[in-house]
Amino acid sequence: MSPKILLVEDEAQIRKFLRISLEAHGFTVHEARLAGDGLKVCADEKPDLVILDLGLPDMDGQDFIARLREWSMVPIIVLSVRSDEAEKVEALDAGANDYVTKPFGISELMARIRAMLRMRGEEKGHDESVFESGDLRVDLATRTVTVGGKLVQLSRKEYDLLKLFVNNAGQVLTHQQIMRMIWGPSREEETHHLRVLIGHLRQKLGDPPARPRYILTEQGVGYRLLAMQ
Amino acid sequence: MKTPPEWRWRERRRAFSLALLTVLITTPLAFLAHFLLPHANLSLLFLTAVLITAARAGMEAALYAGLLGFLSFNFFFTRPYYTLYVHDDGDLATLGFFLIMAAISGKLAARMQCEIAQNRAMVQRLTNINQFTRMMAAAPDSETVEGDLARHIAATFHTPAWVAVMEADEQTSIHGHDGHQAVAPLPERALAELQTFKEDGSYNSWYCFNLNTAHGNIGQVILQTPKLNPASHELARILCDLAAVTLERARLVAELEQARVVSGTEQLRSALLSSVSHDLRTPLASIIGSTSSLLEYGDNISETDRKELMRTVLDEAERLNRYIQNLLDMTRLGGGKITLKRDWVDISDIIYSAVERLRSALAPYQVAIDIPSNTPLLYVHGVLIEQALVNVLDNAASFSPPGGAITIQVSTDSGSVLLDVCDQGPGIHPGEREKVFDMFYTLREGDRKHQGTGLGLAICRGLVETHGGSVIALPGKNDQGTCIRITLPHHEPETKELHDVA
Repeated sequence: MSPKILLVEDEAQIRKFLRISLEAHGFTVHEARLAGDGLKVCADEKPDLVILDLGLPDMDGQDFIARLREWSMVPIIVLSVRSDEAEKVEALDAGANDYVTKPFGISELMARIRAMLRMRGEEKGHDESVFESGDLRVDLATRTVTVGGKLVQLSRKEYDLLKLFVNNAGQVLTHQQIMRMIWGPSREEETHHLRVLIGHLRQKLGDPPARPRYILTEQGVGYRLLAMQ
Repeated sequence: MKTPPEWRWRERRRAFSLALLTVLITTPLAFLAHFLLPHANLSLLFLTAVLITAARAGMEAALYAGLLGFLSFNFFFTRPYYTLYVHDDGDLATLGFFLIMAAISGKLAARMQCEIAQNRAMVQRLTNINQFTRMMAAAPDSETVEGDLARHIAATFHTPAWVAVMEADEQTSIHGHDGHQAVAPLPERALAELQTFKEDGSYNSWYCFNLNTAHGNIGQVILQTPKLNPASHELARILCDLAAVTLERARLVAELEQARVVSGTEQLRSALLSSVSHDLRTPLASIIGSTSSLLEYGDNISETDRKELMRTVLDEAERLNRYIQNLLDMTRLGGGKITLKRDWVDISDIIYSAVERLRSALAPYQVAIDIPSNTPLLYVHGVLIEQALVNVLDNAASFSPPGGAITIQVSTDSGSVLLDVCDQGPGIHPGEREKVFDMFYTLREGDRKHQGTGLGLAICRGLVETHGGSVIALPGKNDQGTCIRITLPHHEPETKELHDVA
């Protein structure tokens, strides 16, 4: 059965091009113009993924996420306008899984959807212990990391960080989320530690910072591990 | 100068006492002289005393001294002694001449003294005017001029004074002073009554002066005194004229400034309008043209050309998006509404994001990036610095020849991180390197050869300066093209347990 996607967006033009593209990729698309309708469709249809515009006329997008998260863990990708990183971070902290900045190209959205659905599939099915993306290979069972077949020695923190990325491959992780997972909740403000750690990890993986192949920067929001097939 | 009668009497008593004292001192001296030099003409000694009195105390005292000296000389030193009777003709003549000379010398001395007093008053007046002129020259605005005038008039004439001036907004501003401190303004009714009074002069218990300029009356100076002597009136008049001229000058300067601001805003507004209409329409024209072609003739267009047209639509839409971001940034910068959300950022992340956002615009060029590995972290609002860099790169791309090199070079200089973006474009004339950061610079030059709104670099500078950094234009490498240098201050992180990271 093809995955079901719920599209909550008040702009008819955007709904139209998204529906055409998503159906062309074999998804079943449900549409809702308002947040209220969206929540109802979620309950009735149990979609596999929700695409949510943050600027809805009847309800604040953040409230929509909070309401939906009360009873559902369905992945949410939010559509947000460029100017406000804080809005994106807020949505991600409220429980959204990823975001795409308007205006966006369809390939960007498709990559997010695919990464999200793949992760869901892995959670349901058997756990994959090996992650591969380009030259990077991470074996979580044996805790070995190789780039182009060469073994890479990582410190404990660097490995923890990489593992966190691998477990959320393709999905954005906010600075705060990473800080909390790696250093614990008390150290969330000391973000320069994270920059330094990311720098070290990139260096060891041979990931040129100005042209990263594995760890992408989402300016003002966080990082994302690129999941290439 | 009129003086009250009691004052005159006191003055007369003083003159008489002085004359009496002089003669009382001179008489024993004359006895002494007579004893030592029996043949000396003693009248000359008395004449000297008269001269001294005249020089010290004026005409009246000189006459008293002359009279008393005459009596003393006559009584003690002319035969028969100790009578006022004069025996000798020579002595009579001496006495006669003595009286005449006393009168003349007294008169002369008195006139001299009067002139000295006048000169002193004149000097005082000139000093006063001079002091006020300096005050006026230093006054930065009409507010100060009015306050200074009230204080100066009050201090000069020892009476409270008010300055009431009709301001440009039809409001009357009032400054009151009593010479020591500011005083409350006059009651409105009294003021309204006084303002109807268009001639200088006294009005009940007040004395008014009008502040006149070439453009008519602009206000009044009111003294709390019913009368002023002519010299004081004249001095006050001069001070008022000086203040009026200064006030008018201040007004003209303010009007000129106002006119300049208005025309500046007008110019900016019309530049913005023409920029918006031009720069929004150019990409829209490409988008509408390409999509309508695809819709109408899509079947007859080859696959490659269809893709080409669709690529155009995408690129132009992205350009439009960047332009709108610039407009947004410009309004935010202009309104001072930018709040920095600083955080530690790796400069390579900023460079990567900026290059990524401009991927299709930079595609025709060779972009080289050099970031030394020891570059410190920046403590900035990452998205804003990224936008600043996007604008510089966008600019470099629009001026580069096809296939030209665009280099992004990071370096560290004492306490700062430098970010140089160099292109191989036509370069900027040395005289214009500062002007390219002005808003709508390309528009003002009427140069529409290149794409560009004239906003990009101005916004870049605004964003970077908000961070305490700077942006300058330098000649390019090997004197070819241009380098735009962004300098950002480098902050030291408050590192606690950094070993935790490794």
